[in-house]
Amino acid sequence: MILGDVLGTPVHDGDGNRLGRVADARFVIDGAPGQLMAGARLFGLVVSPHSAASFLGYERTGLTQPWPLARILRWRHRGSFLVQWHDIAMIGPDSVALRADFTRYDPALPKRAGGG
Amino acid sequence: MKKLLGLALGVLTAIGGFVDIGDLVTNAVVGSRFGLSLVWVVLVGVVGICLFANMSGRVAAASGRATFEVIRERLGARAGLANLGASFIINLMTVTAELGGIALALQLASSVQYLLWIPVAVVAVWIVIWRVRFAIMENVAGLLGLCLVVFAVALFLLKPDWANLAGQALAPAVPGSETGAGYWYYAVALFGAAMTPYEVFFFSSGAVEEGWSVKDLGQARSNVLVGFPLGGLLSVSIAACAAVVLLPAGVAVTSLSQVVLPVAEGGGKLALAFVIVGILAATFGAALETTLSSGYTLAQFFGWSWGKFRRPVQAARFHLSMILCLVVGVGVLATGVDPVLVTEYSVVFSAIALPLTYLPVLIVANDPQYMGHHVNKRPVNVLAMIYLVIILAASVAAIPLMIITGAGS
Amino acid sequence: MNPDGPLSPHPPVAGRVLDAQLHLLDRQVLDADGVPVTTADDIEIDGLEAGVPIPPGAPAPSLTALLTGPVLGTRIFGGRPPSSRLIRILWKDVADVGIVISLGVRGGSLDADWVERWVRDKIIARIPGGRHDPR
Repeated sequence: MILGDVLGTPVHDGDGNRLGRVADARFVIDGAPGQLMAGARLFGLVVSPHSAASFLGYERTGLTQPWPLARILRWRHRGSFLVQWHDIAMIGPDSVALRADFTRYDPALPKRAGGG
Repeated sequence: MKKLLGLALGVLTAIGGFVDIGDLVTNAVVGSRFGLSLVWVVLVGVVGICLFANMSGRVAAASGRATFEVIRERLGARAGLANLGASFIINLMTVTAELGGIALALQLASSVQYLLWIPVAVVAVWIVIWRVRFAIMENVAGLLGLCLVVFAVALFLLKPDWANLAGQALAPAVPGSETGAGYWYYAVALFGAAMTPYEVFFFSSGAVEEGWSVKDLGQARSNVLVGFPLGGLLSVSIAACAAVVLLPAGVAVTSLSQVVLPVAEGGGKLALAFVIVGILAATFGAALETTLSSGYTLAQFFGWSWGKFRRPVQAARFHLSMILCLVVGVGVLATGVDPVLVTEYSVVFSAIALPLTYLPVLIVANDPQYMGHHVNKRPVNVLAMIYLVIILAASVAAIPLMIITGAGS
Repeated sequence: MNPDGPLSPHPPVAGRVLDAQLHLLDRQVLDADGVPVTTADDIEIDGLEAGVPIPPGAPAPSLTALLTGPVLGTRIFGGRPPSSRLIRILWKDVADVGIVISLGVRGGSLDADWVERWVRDKIIARIPGGRHDPR
């Protein structure tokens, strides 16, 4: 499956209510070790209720400068949350459905995140 | 001497940005119609481009990533492609104009027909891009372009009324023969000409070509602080010469020969020779800068291998795309279009495309993953945010002003 | 389910975390010598079928490859090129992810490099001086 088909699609909960759009997909490098990097498993999806365009990443990284931009972009992504893989019921061609009892997690990147 | 040559990148970038063929004519037009009442715009533009180019140069030195790689990564594929489309078309228009400008300068020097010089110009530009080392290219074009300082010399030799000139500059007012809309149209055009995105594409890619790293951050700053104010000074000298000679006589500037008229009047044949060498070097330098920028932007967006520091076979798509740009440029010029008119439009469109180029650079200059601890300091960020507002204002006002004033006519 | 309550803290993870859009997509991909190969235009994951309900306890899909080439056009405008036409950079060839994605292999051995090789061999190498070292 190609990730570009999933990013930006609407996300619904168990009752069919729309929760937002898929803003990003989170992977964890803890799979089978390889020669170079270990395998990357899908950990979950980041859902944003207001805007799927998360191109500047302010809502998840600790960046606070320049502060007017940081404030505006964090406001645009208010209410974003992370859902884990086991809470996803179906990733369909045009939308994502979550299980009835899913948990919303803080989407901020944990300390060991990212590149470099 | 080595230290002076180390400033060549900044000087060449500024020459290509401030005194290319379009700006040469626009500055003379502005001087002949508005006197020095728009000098404050050049000042605002110089500070802006110093800020912008310094940030992009620092990002390139600290992280090794040139500006369009940053734009693609921050804006994503869709907005990045829109930016690429706009920037590429503007670049292509400017390449076309500069090739025409080289031919015009050669015509001025030799009285041989302009169209005959076009093949010479394009072959010469291509050979330099294909074969000449980046450092040699920037040193020669930058140094010879400085001959344009003869405009400032001629200004002194013309013995103008300095008080009058200072009055025009320090107490700007729209002259009676012009409209307010016309004044602001040229203000946006001058601002767009000072802050053209290709200057930043070229400067940051040039930083990578030169192999600048974190220890060269001081050199990057010197390049910016010497090059762009120098470019601004040359711009103002051209406008001042036109204000002193052409404005009182009511001469309308439509060709290169009117632009150099004040220099001939002030300094005679010797000055004229210097100014022709300077114009030739400046338009040639601008042609190199914009052609390379076309290659840089495409290669950096699509992730191709690029750079004059690589053998052409190791940067094949980069060189092919530049060859195609030059071919298109010649094709357009062969239809007889006026190259100067082409740049006047492209400058205004640059003002529109500027915000989406500026914003990713500003963001990344604050990102510790790219910059380590060389992120923007607080005062720089404050100034940068002020300029973001100015840039957005110019971008929004550009098209309406162009329509209202009929492109300044 | 906590619709309007506070978000639960992030679960602990055993390895590095990478977000696709933030850390992987649209990044430059450099080969083992530092030469640019392409940009990461899309990502392929295995172990997941579109439109098929996921059984509880199913293992998480894994990232198999970075995609480049015509998939850029379809990512922006929609649609999908056929699987055989996708140009893949296998995840097992990736050595590190930072500001750029660094591979552990050389570009010459990759599918992703074929357009560059073609332009090089058919066009650039034929122009005199193409192999000249500029330094």
